[in-house]
Amino acid sequence: MSTPGPAPFEHFFRHSYGALVATLSRRFGLQHVAAVEDAAQDALLRALETWPLSGAPDNPAGWLFRVAQNRLLDDLRRQTRRAGLDRRAGLDGPPPDPREPPLAGEIGDDLLRMLFVCCDPRLPTDTALVLALKLLCGFDVREIAQRLSIGEGHVYKRLSRGRQRLRAIGAALDPPPDEHHARLPAVRAVLYVLFTEGRLSLRIDAALRSELCDEALRLTTLLAQHPTGADPETAALVALMHLHRARMPARLDGDGGLLLLDEQDRSRWEGAHIAAGLRWLAASAEGERFTRYHAEASIAAEHCLAPSLAETRWARIVEAYAALERLAPSPMHTLNRALALAEWRGPAAGLALLDGVEPPARAPFGWSAALADLHRRCGHHEAAARYRAAALQSAPTPAIRAALVRRLGGR
Amino acid sequence: MPRFLCLQRSLPTDDRGEAPSPAEMQAMYAKFEDWRRRFADNLVDPGGRLGAGRLVSTGVPDGPFVEVKELVGGYMIVEADDLEAAIAVARGCPGLVRPGSGVEVVEIATS
Repeated sequence: MSTPGPAPFEHFFRHSYGALVATLSRRFGLQHVAAVEDAAQDALLRALETWPLSGAPDNPAGWLFRVAQNRLLDDLRRQTRRAGLDRRAGLDGPPPDPREPPLAGEIGDDLLRMLFVCCDPRLPTDTALVLALKLLCGFDVREIAQRLSIGEGHVYKRLSRGRQRLRAIGAALDPPPDEHHARLPAVRAVLYVLFTEGRLSLRIDAALRSELCDEALRLTTLLAQHPTGADPETAALVALMHLHRARMPARLDGDGGLLLLDEQDRSRWEGAHIAAGLRWLAASAEGERFTRYHAEASIAAEHCLAPSLAETRWARIVEAYAALERLAPSPMHTLNRALALAEWRGPAAGLALLDGVEPPARAPFGWSAALADLHRRCGHHEAAARYRAAALQSAPTPAIRAALVRRLGGR
Repeated sequence: MPRFLCLQRSLPTDDRGEAPSPAEMQAMYAKFEDWRRRFADNLVDPGGRLGAGRLVSTGVPDGPFVEVKELVGGYMIVEADDLEAAIAVARGCPGLVRPGSGVEVVEIATS
């Protein structure tokens, strides 16, 4: 009896699912994506059934690949035999097996290729996001619905729309190199949304949020280390993810309550993420272009580098927010600049900046909360009370409401 | 101590239930590791999956026979005080993971 091997590393099953789907889709064509997903799922189930008894094989990834590929070939043969379509399906040519399991570098290529396919410009971002979560991150429908705080029906709908698109692309998986380049901004945008979903989602618990952020970080790092995506803009995106990720554990108190920046224990910020973020930020400083990711990474870096709230270099943060407003105009960026300005030059300066700025449509609670705070600090009691009431009323969770009450006073 | 043959079978049901997601599989894997450690003394032969087979008979078989592997997916042999104890071991085994899977536990008679 062989001794069962050590437990597979964290996220082994999810990440193996993504690798299997990416590699098999490239080898067999995207028209078979649904069968590929089934084969990957089946191989993982087989591993779960047998490894605890017989021990994990020496090369788990190769084992999974062989099992999944055999299962897929069986499936495709059965499908085509039934439909008498061997020729049209291209399965009458030289048999595609046996093929060797992919090498590690090849899996990275395959994952990125799949990421570019998911970020097809003909698909809306929310569909691309769901596709990536399913095919690359290995979440199932229920898990995606939970993580994005949307209904399972919506996830199904987006997935089937996405798969339709993949089938239409069919065997021509590789977009031509120039299209790869053209698609890079869309790929970065989807990764950014994935990260932001994790960082800012108010409706899911901290573990799920860090998990989404870590997935975004994993895929973005892969992109930044690959010739296809390695450029200063991608480096800035990786930097901003690390620099935000570093501070996430400190945002919660022991009971899951939300802590504001000035309440956070800075020693809980994760040094490894800060160091990695600063390295990527340095790498992003090459070239001529200063992008929104550069601006956001600089802001996050300033917070990470400040020994305390009072010692934060607010002037630099104000400047970076101003750049962000130019690159990606949004009233929320103006609001953040006003808050930084208030720390630097006082609350009246912050309020003056917001004078005449239209709040965004369906203004988030943060808008009223910020105005309530600035008015309170300026001694405008009536305006402060008005914005405070609006903020508390629209606070999306009890934890946020509690943080607002602490900051704005009252009950 | 009596030994028991545990056979993993596919149950004739349409309701295959929902397959576990990869993340759930990760959690189950850890659980199976605990199970294996807990029942290490009972698991005398971890067995394995069964492949294709054929029925051999002295007479003329009535056939056609379903291939063995369609019915039985794998086996293992456990040692336990009695059938109930063997069932307790089998209940936690990885062979039950697949929706629509069951495990048959039968004593291997020695006398």
